[in-house]
Amino acid sequence: MTSIIDEEYAERIEEVLREFLAESGATYVLLTDMGGNLLFKMGEENFDSDTLAVLSAANYAATNEIANLINEDAFSLLFHRGNNENIHFAKLTSDILMIVLFKPYLSLGLLRLKIENVQNEITSLIRE
Amino acid sequence: MILMAIVNLKEKVIQIKIVYYGPGRSGKTTNLEYIFNRLQSQKEQNTSKLVSIDTKGDRTLFFDFFPVNLGKINGFDLKLQLYTTPGQVKYESTRRLVLKGVDGIVFVADSLSSRQDANIDSFENLKNNLSYHNISLSDVKMIFQWNKRDLQEQNIPLTDIEQMETSLNSELQTQSFPASAVSGTNVFKTVNYIAKQTVEKVIDMSVVNQKQRPN
Repeated sequence: MTSIIDEEYAERIEEVLREFLAESGATYVLLTDMGGNLLFKMGEENFDSDTLAVLSAANYAATNEIANLINEDAFSLLFHRGNNENIHFAKLTSDILMIVLFKPYLSLGLLRLKIENVQNEITSLIRE
Repeated sequence: MILMAIVNLKEKVIQIKIVYYGPGRSGKTTNLEYIFNRLQSQKEQNTSKLVSIDTKGDRTLFFDFFPVNLGKINGFDLKLQLYTTPGQVKYESTRRLVLKGVDGIVFVADSLSSRQDANIDSFENLKNNLSYHNISLSDVKMIFQWNKRDLQEQNIPLTDIEQMETSLNSELQTQSFPASAVSGTNVFKTVNYIAKQTVEKVIDMSVVNQKQRPN
């Protein structure tokens, strides 16, 4: 049940993420599995990505449990606004979570559109 | 599909998740704190900080976590993710979440005579929560730690190790260590053992996985 990420696959996903950062102007992006294992990270800043992945997965899972408790399937927007940095969480596939850090002056709507593109690309990569 | 250990062939990293499970106040967080403090005091080991999501007192609310770099094996960087679960009964939902994607479990049992029922309840609870994620005890590596053995010296009534083996470990017959998380006795022995066992299993399975892959 171990997951193996091979080199070619890793490079293609990194290319998708690199493009996403360039187009969206976001600061930092990471992909983690729902268990909190860091899969990919990209961006200039120097965050503790392992811990960020773990806490994001936990945050996402806890929010999902809250949704279940109030008879919601899931919340469609999970996002925190900060003074210097915003953070947005999106479920790409049933197992993969995408975390994006971006500056408050960027438009959330536009960012969400770009995230949707990434979701489509990564889903089709995984299908391959 | 349950994602368990992650092997990244590009970055050459193997990530493994170890969870400390057990009843409330059995010493799961103390185990992690001891490991963390010892590694911090060794300058060459560069660890992230220990994250604790707890109540204002000292009870774990969600989990404690920190990653450890174990060095290289077959050219791969080995990263161990250490977690604890909240022990208190009422934190069922968060405890279940922490088990997602677990590769190895340390069951920290309380040696106090008064806590034997709590040990058994927690062990049953572990099985239930694993089955929630569609895994059984045989899918993961697991060991027991009989914690708080140091209290014997203070004449506090403890349950014999043989008796604890019978009530908790007769089914699995897996490795166990008497320990004292407060003083550090066998804390590293426990983590080293589960790490080694889990890594071996992951490497075996990744070799098998690769052979099964087309072309």
